[in-house]
Amino acid sequence: MTEKYEPKILAFLCNWCAYAGADLAGVSRFQYPPTLRVIRTMCSGRVDPLYVIEGFKSGYDAVFVSG
Amino acid sequence: MEVVAKLLELAGIKRDRVQLRRVSAAEGALFAQYVNDVSETTANLGPFDKDKYQLQLAAIERACNTRRLRWLIGMEHHLQNHDNVYETRTNPDLVIETLDEAIESEYHKGLLLEVLKDGPLSVREMAEKTGMPVYTVSKRLNELESDGMAEFDSHEGTTPKFISLAA
Repeated sequence: MTEKYEPKILAFLCNWCAYAGADLAGVSRFQYPPTLRVIRTMCSGRVDPLYVIEGFKSGYDAVFVSG
Repeated sequence: MEVVAKLLELAGIKRDRVQLRRVSAAEGALFAQYVNDVSETTANLGPFDKDKYQLQLAAIERACNTRRLRWLIGMEHHLQNHDNVYETRTNPDLVIETLDEAIESEYHKGLLLEVLKDGPLSVREMAEKTGMPVYTVSKRLNELESDGMAEFDSHEGTTPKFISLAA
């Protein structure tokens, strides 16, 4: 059986917006792919360009910032 | 974000690998949809080969750490939409142009400093290792020299070799 390629995505989520949004998505049982690895930040403005680069250096296929 | 995307693009990494989305705490469905979108875009791009881009990523990191980009990152909105202390507004196109110029130059310089880390190199060798044209290399090398970040080291035959003075 051949498995579909699953990307590894690093997600920076703002504590007050997207993280709560992600929580709600879970509570309301919306289906979304298990490709995300989440890091919670206190604000998406806290995310420095260097974090994004570090994500790529650690082997992530994409970086998603949401807030 | 725009700065990072531009740097990635210069490095030959698809800009779609970095995505910024606004989601409020009440928008679970929207969040799920964005995750779907991002996963699909990334799946279409395929896996990211971090070893292949090691040099480029190190150069981007260097560029992001320069004082010039540190000052410019996140300033474009403010510069374009607010008056400065002289109560005049900077031309929006000029802001973008300046930013692009700074990004490109800092990225190139980052690349050069990265390849010079392992010892003295001639301009031609640097061009080979970074994939930049010889003319661009010597232009950026000149900038590095005037910033005190690189200097002439020695001659190998008649070819001058340069070293990095940066940490």
